[in-house]
Amino acid sequence: MAMQALINGFADVLNVYTILWICVGVTIGYVLGVLPGLGKATGIAVSIPLTFYLEPVAAIAMLIGIAKGSAAGSAVSAILLNTPGEPSSAPTALDGYPMARQGKAQKALKMGLFASVIGDLISTVVLICLAAPMARYALLIGPVELCAILIFSMTFIGGLSGKSLIKGLIAGAFGILFATVGMETETFIPRMTFGLLELDDGLPLVPIAIGMLAVAEMVVQAGNMRQLDKETAQIVESTKPEDRVVLWSDWKRCFAPILRGTLIGSIVGVLPGLGASVGSFLSYGATRRASDFPEEFGTGRIEGIAAAESADNAVVPASFVPLFALGIPGSVIAAILIAAFVLHGLTPGPRMFQEQPEMVAAVYASMLCASFILLIIGYTGQRLFAQVTKVPIRLIIPCVLFLCCIGAYMETGSIFAIYIMLAFTVFGFLAKKLDFSFVTFLIGYVIGPSAELSFRQSLQILDHRWVGLLDHPIALVFVALTAVILVVLARSRTRNINSLPDQTAGTNTTTGGNRETS
Amino acid sequence: MRIANLVSGVILIVFGMFMLLWIIPMQIEEGPAGMMSPRLLPRMMIWLILGLSMLLIASNLRINTNAFEVTPISLLELLALAKIGGVFAVALSLFLTSGPLWAGIALIIGAQVVLGERRPHVIAFVPFFLIGGTYLLFYRLLGTAIM
Repeated sequence: MAMQALINGFADVLNVYTILWICVGVTIGYVLGVLPGLGKATGIAVSIPLTFYLEPVAAIAMLIGIAKGSAAGSAVSAILLNTPGEPSSAPTALDGYPMARQGKAQKALKMGLFASVIGDLISTVVLICLAAPMARYALLIGPVELCAILIFSMTFIGGLSGKSLIKGLIAGAFGILFATVGMETETFIPRMTFGLLELDDGLPLVPIAIGMLAVAEMVVQAGNMRQLDKETAQIVESTKPEDRVVLWSDWKRCFAPILRGTLIGSIVGVLPGLGASVGSFLSYGATRRASDFPEEFGTGRIEGIAAAESADNAVVPASFVPLFALGIPGSVIAAILIAAFVLHGLTPGPRMFQEQPEMVAAVYASMLCASFILLIIGYTGQRLFAQVTKVPIRLIIPCVLFLCCIGAYMETGSIFAIYIMLAFTVFGFLAKKLDFSFVTFLIGYVIGPSAELSFRQSLQILDHRWVGLLDHPIALVFVALTAVILVVLARSRTRNINSLPDQTAGTNTTTGGNRETS
Repeated sequence: MRIANLVSGVILIVFGMFMLLWIIPMQIEEGPAGMMSPRLLPRMMIWLILGLSMLLIASNLRINTNAFEVTPISLLELLALAKIGGVFAVALSLFLTSGPLWAGIALIIGAQVVLGERRPHVIAFVPFFLIGGTYLLFYRLLGTAIM
């Protein structure tokens, strides 16, 4: 039955029109991934309005292509410039950049691509196998349970996606607060609209995401421009053929790290809030520990690249599991993709498997196709894409700013969206620099309306008596888990502060520096 | 980051009080009797922000450090924010007075210039390429206006 649905999904996807848009998405994503600081979330946020005029399947397939392409492309700048396209590619740079300095850039890039595709493909299969069965259980969940799960998710994400639990929770609270702007759904009373009709429908997500992710990142990049430009011309290429291709001996060394990385990435992706950075660092660390030569890691071991990239890319499809099964975005791209899915008629959540099985199958099929297209485009165009790193950042920033304006403007067709984008640029810039997790903010913003609705319904169901929670054991479990998470995270953070009072981040600040769910 | 955390904590408390005492009562009406107040969730979030900001201040006051603190926002980044903000201000005023084409040109050229590009042919080519490409994509390929 499920296999038949998937075959039907392939029938919807395997046509020139959809494949073309997947290719466009993968190519755009790969190029965006190559550019330091411009990750998959930025790419998707800017591209959503461009998909308004596409068929739903093609539109979603293109956005998925962008996500997959940029996850793989971010390894290119990590290897060639020692500047990860996204924070999650930072461990790739640890061994990738030394390999590039040894003249083995081509080999490192190819292994990065192969590991990315394998991790991504297996993780997509995990998504297909897990999401529908989980969704069946999710349908048994009522408003009280949903409210408890949302509170748990926000706490979990807020606690893990930044360096500070308190700041993560503040960011999440801000996200929910901003989500209350606009007409209240039950009483139709406007909230914090300041008399502006444009705010009656609430703040539009796309300009917010573009401002916080893309424009704010461009401002940070502009501030670190000189350092980035200095790195560009330092790579030499070996003339030996064996330094340019992945040999069988390389595959033998990388096979286990890729599988381990895929497993770690898939598990990390399924858990909301952990993010690709956690996955890639965990996988890199596990591979180093398992190696016979752990001391050689960081000097150009190809297993390091394989481990980091497979996990980094495995996180992306796996992070759709909570989105598809529960309707809860586990990562910032999942949060932004909700807007795109809804726009094109697919509401993520457990009901979508019953109400729109054909569309879900088409999404799965397009995800699998995107993996293969990523391999083809990445392999054939890698040398060309690598040239993008040589474009001075002072030329890239104006182009990105222009595209951001078009993306934001198209959302509402009004200049008001640009104002919102700019306001959230400042907000995002400050959040980024002061380590208030903008990921938690965006996820809080996206789940805000359903959190409020389930909270209202819960109050009515429980008749305003908290003791009524005893009749909802699942909700009780999640409330208890929230308390446990808070205590555990608070204690571990306090221990870290006490042991490392003045530790400053040593990672490259040009990608935002802080660990974020991507 | 300690000083930055303390300052952000204080600013957040001031913001929270302002929201609680001024914005929410002014901007959100009380709902009809028997229904959950539309003010409830915003108020809850503000109380949460206030409580967490106090915790942020308290936890950072507890940290004992004599080491030199690196400011989280560098001067170059602030400068970049001001420059790009200025370019947007010019582009927006041109949008309102002269139309989107001039705003787009001003945005692209302005950003190039403030970021240090000085080659005239590059300064001219980038807007031509971007705006021309956008025109071809929307008006020719997709067959629609940008909205």
